[in-house]
Amino acid sequence: MNRVIGQSVPRRDLPGKLTGDAKYAADVQLPGMLIGKILRSPHPHAKVIAVDTSAAAELPGVHAVVTPFDVPEGNIAPDVPILDTEVRFVGDEVAAVAADDEFIARQALDLVEVEYETLPFVTDPREAIEPGAPPVHSGGNLVGGEPIILERGNVDEGFSEADVIVEDSFSTPAHSGAALEPRVAVAYWDDDELTVWKSSRGVHQDQLLLSLALGIPRERVRVIGGAMGAGYGNKDETRLSVIAAVLARRAGRPVKIEATREEEIVAGRHRHGTYTTVKMGVKSDGTVTAVHATTIMDTGAYLSSGPGVVRRAGQGALYLYRCPNVRYDGCLTYTNTPSGGSYRALGAPQGHFALELIADRAARAVGMDPVEFRLKNHVGPEGQPGERTTPASEIIDTQPLEGGIPFSSNGLRECIERGAEAFGWSDYSPTSEGSLKRGKGMAILIYRGGPGGRSIARMSFERDGSFTMISGVMDVGEGSATVLTQIAAEALGVDYDQVSETLGDSAHTPDSPITAGSTVTFSAGLAVRQAATDLRSRLLSSAAGVLDVSASDLDLDSSGVFSQSGRRLAFSELAEHIGAVEVEAAVSPGSTDYIVNSFGAHFAEVEVDTDTGAVRVLRYVAAHDSGRILNPRLAVNQVEGGVSQMLGFTLTEQMLTDPGHGATLNASFLEHKSPTILEYPDIEVIFADVVDPIGPYGAKALGEPPSVGVAPAVVNAIRDATGVEVRDLPATPDKVLNLIAELETGVVE
Amino acid sequence: MGQTQVTPYTLHISIEVNGESHDLEVDTRWTLLHVLREELSLTGAKRGCDRGECGACTVLLDDLPVNSCMTLAATISGRRVRTVEGLSTQGTLHPVQQAFLDNDGGQCGFCTPGFVMSATALLEQISSPTDDEIRDALAGNICRCNAYGRIIESVRAARKAG
Repeated sequence: MNRVIGQSVPRRDLPGKLTGDAKYAADVQLPGMLIGKILRSPHPHAKVIAVDTSAAAELPGVHAVVTPFDVPEGNIAPDVPILDTEVRFVGDEVAAVAADDEFIARQALDLVEVEYETLPFVTDPREAIEPGAPPVHSGGNLVGGEPIILERGNVDEGFSEADVIVEDSFSTPAHSGAALEPRVAVAYWDDDELTVWKSSRGVHQDQLLLSLALGIPRERVRVIGGAMGAGYGNKDETRLSVIAAVLARRAGRPVKIEATREEEIVAGRHRHGTYTTVKMGVKSDGTVTAVHATTIMDTGAYLSSGPGVVRRAGQGALYLYRCPNVRYDGCLTYTNTPSGGSYRALGAPQGHFALELIADRAARAVGMDPVEFRLKNHVGPEGQPGERTTPASEIIDTQPLEGGIPFSSNGLRECIERGAEAFGWSDYSPTSEGSLKRGKGMAILIYRGGPGGRSIARMSFERDGSFTMISGVMDVGEGSATVLTQIAAEALGVDYDQVSETLGDSAHTPDSPITAGSTVTFSAGLAVRQAATDLRSRLLSSAAGVLDVSASDLDLDSSGVFSQSGRRLAFSELAEHIGAVEVEAAVSPGSTDYIVNSFGAHFAEVEVDTDTGAVRVLRYVAAHDSGRILNPRLAVNQVEGGVSQMLGFTLTEQMLTDPGHGATLNASFLEHKSPTILEYPDIEVIFADVVDPIGPYGAKALGEPPSVGVAPAVVNAIRDATGVEVRDLPATPDKVLNLIAELETGVVE
Repeated sequence: MGQTQVTPYTLHISIEVNGESHDLEVDTRWTLLHVLREELSLTGAKRGCDRGECGACTVLLDDLPVNSCMTLAATISGRRVRTVEGLSTQGTLHPVQQAFLDNDGGQCGFCTPGFVMSATALLEQISSPTDDEIRDALAGNICRCNAYGRIIESVRAARKAG
């Protein structure tokens, strides 16, 4: 056992990416292919009264123009038609053209005349839910008409038991995932059969959405994902590919649409901006008695995954600290700004930012060290106090509200202790030189993930004696092709290199959930393990017939099947006897007895220049409980990458909207500043020694959790260094300087 | 009333790409990135921003790294271009590529060809760069997966190997 699991085998898809052979959707070239371009709204809110396409259509080299008045009637999402006669943010899709090349397509866009009737608009989510605010959609701006309220116990009682109550308000900005690969789709019709290559996080979901939007049977749509230039969750829409399909239908030729960098940032999806108030009650001995968080989350012009994200933003407040009385109020609001969506950890970073700053304040209020406070209060393996309400036969949600349910595994304490030790927390003594002040900060985290939707996998024994793992998930750059293949090889009992993989093509893989919510290793992994285990049994029993021995006398290794008496049958020989074999397994991952969650503790040392306000992260320790680590090198890369990516959220990244006009002001890498290798700090990654009893070979969710603890750990460190607490991200030099000036002068600017 | 298409202006260039000579008739609006991807089907160089900010399109022009999206094809006649496709020979990875594979120096891979070319140029100029020199040489390449830790390890390994 464990010949392949736990080994740092090389990333399966990396050789092709290193040589340029890997094919991303943008690399697809088809004979006669046209280039599509999209005309976007210059207004934050307007009715499209009329579109005159005659001049554009007459331009030589233009082959199709589509407008809201002539597209098919389908919807891409409940609040998103293919093209709409009402536009809701600057950059919203209005019309599209397909032409011989990019230059002609751009010229054609300039020739499309649109008559708009502008409408009142709102860009601030707090204003959007005030009475009389301009409605972004009919039905009001507060999604669902009221906040979601989740309460366990009674917070009023909890606060009445507290000796100290700390409370404050915090905000986090909209920021773009800014995947380096802009969205792209290539659509090609062969009679009534549609093939789409796209930058996809789930080819089967895309297939379904394309078929619904276009009103054609699902089996006539094929979606090919190929290599994916990442998305961190936010390539969660199909509008570009549906528009490409409509253009291709009309032109009678294949059409490729590649988003520009500006389009990717504005018309893609970003992490929702939030305003959060947190109130925490503690006894003088440090025991948490109540937590109440209220979040206003800006979903922008469209719903996308907002309802799920706003709920997830409450997980920290409801479940990170052991507490009988907790409450979360979540308000998801529409505004006339670009649409939020799924982005790595889905609300958890926003919620944890506010919660973990308040936790530090609570610790200070009762004179406790931040680590000591967490060790005293963090949720333990037994879960939260209270009574289980989920029926005993039901799979437990990964974000339950009720108490009374233990975790399948919980290494949070180990993360805190080992992380603090590796950081040197207790004997840290900062050195300061002149204006350079150093400090330490930490934060802890809980994250759902792991069990996702029903997953199907196939394992195939080929005629040449080799093996293929077949899964409908996409490897979105995180390494699932590698890890799922490791699971397959382990369960079969063969070498990693003996198993090849087929992923990311709806025509050749079984239905599968999207790659989202850190669920692939867990959910698809369990299906792969089951299929591989079943195939192994089938092969042993077939070989028993060939060798005329009992299957129980047989075993297999990388060279083939062998008996205890020493007889051997190479896989190629076995294949000659029995031919190809394919097995399929379906699993509904999860547990009826336990909550499956991941945990972590982050520690940061920063240096703040009090003359300039510049913050530099010097050193970082990220300790994670993600169950057993199936591929240590890939796992370290995930954690390091998640931390560094979220240093952008913490220190530099923010989508700026002009409140007077609604336009996004900084849709480029120069102005929406992503971290570069120059800012990359020394990061130490620690994995807790946990083997989860439910996950495949003991694994739990890993992809998203590293992004959850970064902002609070760093901002707590800034406070330790300077005495000022940045409550509104990102912690840019101007904010840090102003806060230092306020602290020194007592004057609030 | 028909619309008039902007009349493209073309001119002739000769360039060497990965050791092979190409005589091309290029539209003056074409970038080197366009020529590589669309005319020569060398799609290793990627279009991440098309404005010189991300480095995904990095190739070597006479041995120096350039953003091919910011290099007009019409201006480089007579010059020598190397792309990521030209690094490996007969199925054997270049030492820089091998170091990136061994050290997991990428995730989604979209930035990877650009990083590999920047690192190759660095190691051709300085065989044993310091960590600061490695960071400086790669500062024009953005990795949104932020696999920077593994990328630094990869170049360190290539430095030893080379």
